[in-house]
Amino acid sequence: MKLNISLIICSLTLSFLISSCKKGDEINPVNPLEGLLKLKEGYVIGASAKIEVWGEKNFFTGFNNLTVVLYDSLNLKEKITDAHIEFEPVMTMVSGAMVMKHSTPVENPDQVSVNDVFPGAIAFVMPTAMGGSWKLSVHVHNHKIDKEGEAEFEIIVDNPATPVLSVFTSQSPDSSKLVLSLVKPTAPKVGMNDIEFTLHRKLSMMEWPADNTYSIEIIPEMPSMGHGSPNNINPVNTGNGHYKGKVNFTMTGEWRINIAVKKGDAVISKNASFNITL
Amino acid sequence: MLILGVWLFPILCQSQVSHNTDLLNDTIHLNEVEVSTSLPLSNNDVMDFYRTNHFSTLDNINARLDGMSLVKRGSYALEPQLQGFSGGQLNITIDGMKMFGACTDRMDPITSYIEPSNLKKITIDHGTTGCETGCNIGGSVDMTLEEPEINSSKPLISSVEMGYESISNGQNFLFSSGYSAKKWAWGIDGVYRNNANYRDGTNQVIPFSQFRKTNLHSVFKYQPNNRNSFKMDMLYDVARNVGYPALTMDVGVARAALIGLEYQRAGEANFKVKVYLNTIYHVMDDSKRDSLYELKAGGSTGKTVYMRMDMPGQSTTLGSYAQLQHFWNKRNRLTIKGDNYTNKSLAEMTMHMRYPGLPPEPEMYMQTWPEMIRNVSGLYLQNTTFVSQKLTLTVDGRVDYNIDILQSEYAQQQFSVFNYNLPKKQGKLLKSLNLSAQYLLVNDLSVVASTGYSERMPTIGERLGFYLFNAYDGYDYIGNPYLKVEKSNFFRVAFRLSKTAIKVNLSQSVSLVHDYIMGITDHQIPAMNFYAKGIRVTSNIPKARLYSTDLQILFNPNTNLSLFILSKFTYGEVSSANPLPLIPPIKNIAAVQYQKNRLLLQAEYESSMAQGRINSDYGEQKTPAYTIFNLKSGYSLSFSRTRAEIGVSISNLLNRIYYEHLDWGRINRPGRNISVSLTLLF
Repeated sequence: MKLNISLIICSLTLSFLISSCKKGDEINPVNPLEGLLKLKEGYVIGASAKIEVWGEKNFFTGFNNLTVVLYDSLNLKEKITDAHIEFEPVMTMVSGAMVMKHSTPVENPDQVSVNDVFPGAIAFVMPTAMGGSWKLSVHVHNHKIDKEGEAEFEIIVDNPATPVLSVFTSQSPDSSKLVLSLVKPTAPKVGMNDIEFTLHRKLSMMEWPADNTYSIEIIPEMPSMGHGSPNNINPVNTGNGHYKGKVNFTMTGEWRINIAVKKGDAVISKNASFNITL
Repeated sequence: MLILGVWLFPILCQSQVSHNTDLLNDTIHLNEVEVSTSLPLSNNDVMDFYRTNHFSTLDNINARLDGMSLVKRGSYALEPQLQGFSGGQLNITIDGMKMFGACTDRMDPITSYIEPSNLKKITIDHGTTGCETGCNIGGSVDMTLEEPEINSSKPLISSVEMGYESISNGQNFLFSSGYSAKKWAWGIDGVYRNNANYRDGTNQVIPFSQFRKTNLHSVFKYQPNNRNSFKMDMLYDVARNVGYPALTMDVGVARAALIGLEYQRAGEANFKVKVYLNTIYHVMDDSKRDSLYELKAGGSTGKTVYMRMDMPGQSTTLGSYAQLQHFWNKRNRLTIKGDNYTNKSLAEMTMHMRYPGLPPEPEMYMQTWPEMIRNVSGLYLQNTTFVSQKLTLTVDGRVDYNIDILQSEYAQQQFSVFNYNLPKKQGKLLKSLNLSAQYLLVNDLSVVASTGYSERMPTIGERLGFYLFNAYDGYDYIGNPYLKVEKSNFFRVAFRLSKTAIKVNLSQSVSLVHDYIMGITDHQIPAMNFYAKGIRVTSNIPKARLYSTDLQILFNPNTNLSLFILSKFTYGEVSSANPLPLIPPIKNIAAVQYQKNRLLLQAEYESSMAQGRINSDYGEQKTPAYTIFNLKSGYSLSFSRTRAEIGVSISNLLNRIYYEHLDWGRINRPGRNISVSLTLLF
């Protein structure tokens, strides 16, 4: 019994020591750029700002989460946290004598920064290719000094090995052209995952607004095994063209998410699917 | 190994049935072998009908034990079933040591890692009364390892045996050796078996029924004085290329290693303490099989699919127990036992899919048993009161505290698919209580009545199994993390007649099980495989009832002749009055043995009635009746310092085409088999 008591005292003392050590550690402030790559940087002529565009990887066909960081171009250290930023991506396609330009769906950042940076997104509908090049203009209104200007980047948009974006024409009733992007999961794991899509409509060559008027159903499948997974939750519209649900993966390997985009009760997509490899 | 070799060399392997030295145990002494150890031959008056040569596997012996049946998936590693209970419903231990198979599909019951040559005896307790080694409902099977005798009159004993079996081109080698000194003794024994595919009664080869295995057991005993003794057991068993014709996969390797250290102190209070460690590694292998995926997918798409699966499993157990037995007064004997074990299990499945002409697809990985530690601490008490010359009362009880600890997030992730939010740690208390009375009715005739209640913990597979394919009913099984413990009320009455010339044992057992654990079809969850019929989730069903009656008669009209009869019957139903699946029909064994001088002759009749009480939801089909006959003979020769034993036996004499009800896949058992063996003793 004596041994037991002394054991208890020892372990209590030890755990106290350990926990007091822990108190010394401070919580690090969130680094919004952690894990991200700087894709582009340059000056926003006219807005007295230096701009950096960060992303998870180089631009690709699909939904790109992009983070914009603005610095005062005079001291290059002070971040600008109040600005109006607009993405203006343009694809120029040359085919013989024909030159055609179009844009792609964007989500412009809020005017107030999050952790001193501006998160936004662009869903590139096609990759850079022979006879087709992308240019990304970023329009910045620096609220701090009330000046505005534009930065312009030549960018290369990669074509990912596994598609994560689909452009299709609605089967009915209006045959509009829709862009369906897979936003999540970016790091899929076995078990329950968030799944998120965006839907945008091609209104004109330059206008690709978000569309909240559809519904989405998913059926995950493992093609080589011929089975699916239970308890998936169909994505629900959460505004701004986003649809969020849950998808379950029972094992690693290659999965296919079969997608039905519906208007009312009518399925307007045709055999849409994305493959996800765990 | 094919049933055949239930063969006997009388002098060599005197095994015997001893009804009951212990109050409630049915103890079967296997080999009081003077060959491998220096134990003296004993109880010659009890004739041996469970005899076996050392080449028959443990399965052959188990098939003839009281209340025991075997679930057969291949010609090797048959799974014990005791009065309708199997798997996690039984405590199967080796000298009280806990050991758990590493196969999710029960292809490696612990009995498959033990050879008859390793064993001294098998002790069976039925129903809830088997709780000495853990709270459980179906009974216990304890295999006592062979040990050498210290200070024997013959210090060095060795034997070599060779055998051949015609049906499977089977080659068997066995050796054993024992050295006995004044204060210590050492014994070692080993077996090598190599069997090709066997042939059934139609002379057809049964593919994937081959196996090869090696077993080695060493035991060292040290006894400095009369009171104290130490013992160290080491056992290593490896089986390779084991075919399972009833399953879609075979076994590449099944390997077990065990070490046990024991200290005993004799005296007014007997004290025993044991520490042990064992580990099992089991790899299923489908590389020699045509993938089912090939057939199915090929049929529908015209493509040939090449799918391979790796399914390794491992299970390691570290444990200890301490036991004290003491007469605290003239009439009462108390046994206290405290024990603890920790088992770590993990079973994985990786599927490799490759279409011809295409690069391989990404690997598909899952944990069919997630990495988990189960720690069980238990306390067992038994008190026996010798009320009078005629009446003995025993009460025993046990509590177990079971903690399951997940070792990685993988299990939680996998089970999030079914909307479970699994805790990392789950604890559960289990209880067991038994009462029994033994009363001497008249001379030589006694009755033993027992009743008890016990609970048992669901196994890791039942709790957290993840898409375990059951080839019997064709469903994928998924565990249920919140399964309730299985409970049983048990009643048993046994009559025992014990005269010199005749011994009879008649027992009846009833188990009323609550929250019986079995797979229930879940239509919400899609099947995992092309070939799976659907999904079953292990669930508690309110009630199940099992009834068994067993009869054993041993009759010795004179010193040369003996007769043995074994009859067993089990009846099982679930609350819906549907039959419980996998319940054997009535089975009878009768054997006559004649032994004189150097000659032994034995004829055995084995018969099983048809089983028509089936549960077709669980893949059962009716099984016809069968009758087979086996013959054995043995002759012994003595030379100056060597003795030789020659044995010839024929099993399934009439070359019957048959299978038993518990044989998965209704695969025919071996046809007529002739086996010969030669044993040399030095």
